[in-house]
Amino acid sequence: MALAIIVAVYLTIVIANAGGYVDEIVISELRFNVYESLRTNPAYKGYPPEEIKKLAERIIEQEIKRMGLDQHFIIRSFNYLYNALTLNLGRAMKMFSSSGSNRVWDIIGERLPTTVLLFTTANVLIFACELLLGLLLSRRYGSKLDKTIISLAPLSSMPGWFYGIFMIIIFASWFGVLPYGGLVDAPPPEEPLLYALSVLKHMVLPLLSWSVAYIPIGAYRMRTFFLMFSMEDYVEYARARGVPPRIIERKYVLRPVLPPIITDFVLVLISSWMGAIVTERVFNWPGVGTLMAEAIGINDAPVIIGTATIFAYLLGVSVIVLDVVYALVDPRIKVGE
Amino acid sequence: MNTLKYSKVIALVLALTIVVGLGSALLTSAQQAPRGPWVDEVVFYTESDPDKVVEMLVKNEAQAFFDDLTDPNIFKTVKEKGLSYEFSYGLYYELTFNPVGPEFPATGKLNPFSNAKIREAMNYIVDRTYIASDIMGGLAVPRYTALTPSFPDYARYADVIYEVESTYKYNFEKGKAMIFEEMQKMGAVYRDGKWYYKGEPVTIIFLIRTEDARRAIGDYTASQLEKLGFTVERKYGTSRELSPYWIRGNPADGQWHVYTGGWITTIVSRDEADNFGYFYTKMGRPEPLWQAYVNDPEFYSVAQKLYNKMYKSAEERDELMSKALVLSLKESQRIWLVHLTSLWVRRPEISIAYDLSGGYSGSWLWPWTLRYENRVGGQVKILMPSLLVEPWNAIAGTNWIFDQSIIRATGETAVLPDPYTGLFWPHRVEKAEVYVNEELPVRKTLDWVSLIKVSEVKVPGDAWYKWDASQKKIITVKEALGENVNANAKIVVHYDDKLFSGQYKWHDGSQFSIADIVFAFIITHDRADPASPIYDEAYVPDYEAFMETFKGFKIVSENPFVIEYYTDVWYEDAEWIAEAGADGFWPYYSQGAAPWHALAIGYLAEAEQRLAFSADKADRLGVDWMNYIAGPSLEILKEKLQEAINTGFIPYAEVLGRYASASEVLARYQNLMNWYNSKGHFWVGNGPFYLDVVDTVAKQVVIEAYREHVDTADKWLKFGEPMVPEVSIDPIGTIIQTQPLTTGVRVSFHGQPYSVDDIFYVKYLIIHPGGKFVGYAEAVRDGLYEIRLGPDETGALEEGTAELVVVAVSKLVGTPTIVKTTFTVKSLIGYVGEQVAAVRGDVSGLGSRIGSVESKIDAVSSQVKSVQDQVGSLATVAYAAIGLSIVSLVVGVVAVLMGRKPKT
Repeated sequence: MALAIIVAVYLTIVIANAGGYVDEIVISELRFNVYESLRTNPAYKGYPPEEIKKLAERIIEQEIKRMGLDQHFIIRSFNYLYNALTLNLGRAMKMFSSSGSNRVWDIIGERLPTTVLLFTTANVLIFACELLLGLLLSRRYGSKLDKTIISLAPLSSMPGWFYGIFMIIIFASWFGVLPYGGLVDAPPPEEPLLYALSVLKHMVLPLLSWSVAYIPIGAYRMRTFFLMFSMEDYVEYARARGVPPRIIERKYVLRPVLPPIITDFVLVLISSWMGAIVTERVFNWPGVGTLMAEAIGINDAPVIIGTATIFAYLLGVSVIVLDVVYALVDPRIKVGE
Repeated sequence: MNTLKYSKVIALVLALTIVVGLGSALLTSAQQAPRGPWVDEVVFYTESDPDKVVEMLVKNEAQAFFDDLTDPNIFKTVKEKGLSYEFSYGLYYELTFNPVGPEFPATGKLNPFSNAKIREAMNYIVDRTYIASDIMGGLAVPRYTALTPSFPDYARYADVIYEVESTYKYNFEKGKAMIFEEMQKMGAVYRDGKWYYKGEPVTIIFLIRTEDARRAIGDYTASQLEKLGFTVERKYGTSRELSPYWIRGNPADGQWHVYTGGWITTIVSRDEADNFGYFYTKMGRPEPLWQAYVNDPEFYSVAQKLYNKMYKSAEERDELMSKALVLSLKESQRIWLVHLTSLWVRRPEISIAYDLSGGYSGSWLWPWTLRYENRVGGQVKILMPSLLVEPWNAIAGTNWIFDQSIIRATGETAVLPDPYTGLFWPHRVEKAEVYVNEELPVRKTLDWVSLIKVSEVKVPGDAWYKWDASQKKIITVKEALGENVNANAKIVVHYDDKLFSGQYKWHDGSQFSIADIVFAFIITHDRADPASPIYDEAYVPDYEAFMETFKGFKIVSENPFVIEYYTDVWYEDAEWIAEAGADGFWPYYSQGAAPWHALAIGYLAEAEQRLAFSADKADRLGVDWMNYIAGPSLEILKEKLQEAINTGFIPYAEVLGRYASASEVLARYQNLMNWYNSKGHFWVGNGPFYLDVVDTVAKQVVIEAYREHVDTADKWLKFGEPMVPEVSIDPIGTIIQTQPLTTGVRVSFHGQPYSVDDIFYVKYLIIHPGGKFVGYAEAVRDGLYEIRLGPDETGALEEGTAELVVVAVSKLVGTPTIVKTTFTVKSLIGYVGEQVAAVRGDVSGLGSRIGSVESKIDAVSSQVKSVQDQVGSLATVAYAAIGLSIVSLVVGVVAVLMGRKPKT
């Protein structure tokens, strides 16, 4: 497990830096931008050109040093790895948190709550709906409701953000009843309660679009899952023994399906913390997804590596926790067997 | 009864009159300019999707967008939906050529663009009009030279540029002929529609940017090159993918031949003379590409003189610029394609001053001019692509363009740039005198500046030169530089009378005082002094560049406040030199305005190494970049404020203590504490708006009108709309050689005559078959100029069709107005001959007309005769009829008489 995390993090470091080629890009851009900013700055218009050049070169040198680009990438990559593994995510090259910190922890920490608020809510909501609907449909297999929901499953061929665009057109543009995007009304309400209500209002469309995209297929998956388990030999045997249906469902069907459901739930939960780049862009939601898009856009490797590292750790920890949980919820699973 | 009726009518009329009168009075008073800005509140929030932005503006969810739009389809929608818009000149595209060759040392392959004539010929190969109208959908204008269309230098040399543009307009066949000739000279062979060199196809590696219209431009140019017989390898990529090749890579490696370059103008530049050195010669930049430039000696000499300002008069500069414009096209290290006219969108009921280069967000006057057309006050919501990207602190905080747009509304400088000309207008200044060395080609345009040319500018020994952090004292010029120090310029600035009167305040209620200016002087030097607790090595390069030219500062009078500022920096416009003095130590720092007491708490926090003003120092110390508006910085700053209150802290007390009393110091800190308790941040400015709400999570900022501002909202009203002159030329028809000619040029704005005082010049250019000449129209009265050509001038014109181009440039807007008309030039002899021939023709025509009249008379006579004949014959008939009648009568009578006889 530890080795997997190390490999994953180091691969991220190498990929995020394109094997060190990003240094070339960053320095090229830096040189271009510094000279251009001096050339177009009216304050320097009257200065002798030689002075401008001297100034530009000193600024470039300082910036290269500040970003750590004066060190070879190989050395830097192991520093990144060590820092990442010790969860010292270091400082971003160019990005800052709104509070003024360029510590990667602060930058991610600032965006995480909004992402958790929207996407964890969305995923939990979707998961609950899938579960309940799946159960309901498996009980009413072949009913009109079952057929209706199953016929809606192809909706998931399109991602949530795709429906988001339509939702915006319908509810924001045509009817004008819901906002186009953002976290809160402009200007933001002063009362905390009104502020919270405004945030909820801004969550409606993203939640709705994800629900449309993911609930039908999820319900279909769950329903199939329950149906498969309800046809196992031991269930049939229990039925033959005359065990009441409720007990069969709770003890003979639900309990054995718990490990995969919990796994599914935990992974969905973790991935929800990484945000969703396109959905956040469509709804102008200031979360981790947007942060990642910005970091990739400006090649801020520490932020990219930091986000990936957190994800890798969360994944690693989840797998360990899940192993323990499996043993707890399913008596058939024993350590060492 | 009637009396009662009339009384009722009178009462009704009176009532109506009163209501109407009151209504108009109220309406008038509602339109009166309030103190501070026109509107009450501005809310900034983010949206970066252009389609959504336009939709939100249409639905009145927001009233303006503070970023430019460049998509032609969006432009179409904006027009269809009835939104208002303006254009600015920002981005411009070009083709950068790799000049190494004829063979690349690394590959031995031929580089056609190492040949200057082939590069020059490329000007004919690309159709700029097609790019501007078709590829850019009309959101661009063709660009041929290094000078930006609509900027002052473009207007100044409009005649030369016009000629360049006419010479190099699209002519594929001409360009092809030039290229074919040069390719053959270089040893290439044209076979089966393809060029070969040493048996291999001549391949052009074309780096094409993909983020914007340069992809389409690149594809179009590549197709044109393929039509010429080149094999083109298109390498697509973004800025970061391609920059290592063209800007950092060695062009001698032969990894590329052409690149679709893009540059930007962020301000209205009044002096673009250095563009020739920057874009065409190795002087421009140290990168390998620039170092590979080889120039014609004549061009290099001209570019060098312009780059280093090695000219002594405006006339000499004009001559150099004219030469550079023509020669640069012969060099064509890059060829200019189009200058984008970016779109800035707002709702029609909103008006706002925009900057010719920076649009709404780049305009310094937007806070003063933003208003609803039909009412005073109200809330305006403005969308931005992003904001609150970096921390705000006035010393070295965020430089993010959108944050800066808001910051500019909360603070003000002593003079403000004209958004349309780039010249500075006084804001907190009454007047300024600018003394410059007589050898410098400086000119002035506006009346608030007096320009005085002197043989030398001496710097007084007692002027302040710098702050010494170890000795804690101000070092004078004499102490630092000795006696007999000279400068290029001296600026005497007479500030506004109200400055220290108590009326002019910071947002927290503290009175603006001389201590704010003295603090600005000291901290400017202190941050670069290693002995200072706020020393910042990242600031040193900037500071050293500043000290290369700074010569001294002297407070001549405290009330009224008058200062002298000495510097070696000079610009061609005296207004710019005056700005350097007026804003030199005005408390508007690099990234915003701030009173000394607000910065003092930041000073304490940085001195304790808990926060740092700059990002670089924050990084080195491992602390937060200081943020006056949000985050953990606020707690630290609050703690430092409390400490300052408790100790009565005065930064640089040795000097500042002389300008701020203990009670004033305490009152200021207390004001700041009250401000923080009320607003939750430490951002205190002196502009027309104050910062009210900051939501870093939702990325929103709300600013409120500062109604205690010393100025009223109408102060900058005349800049609400650029007064681009409207020009028409009186019809000419024909000009006769050696005959004097006077023709009128009408200059107006919205139908009203344009004031002569506001016109910079009206220049004309006559292009005739024998050449061209340039002159200035003379002002007759407001709105009317005359082009007067004497006999010698008209005598110099050659016969044929000629064109008159008139260029009118206003002092109020940088955009020149160019109008054209055609006329015919005739020689006097030819003209007289023509006239004689015409007279002859007339005479001959008269003869024939007389003949025709005669024949008409004959015809009439014959007709008369025929009528006479007809009348004669009619008479005969009549006579015969009468005769017959008489005969019949007689016969009848006889018959009657004979018939009566038998009855008897």
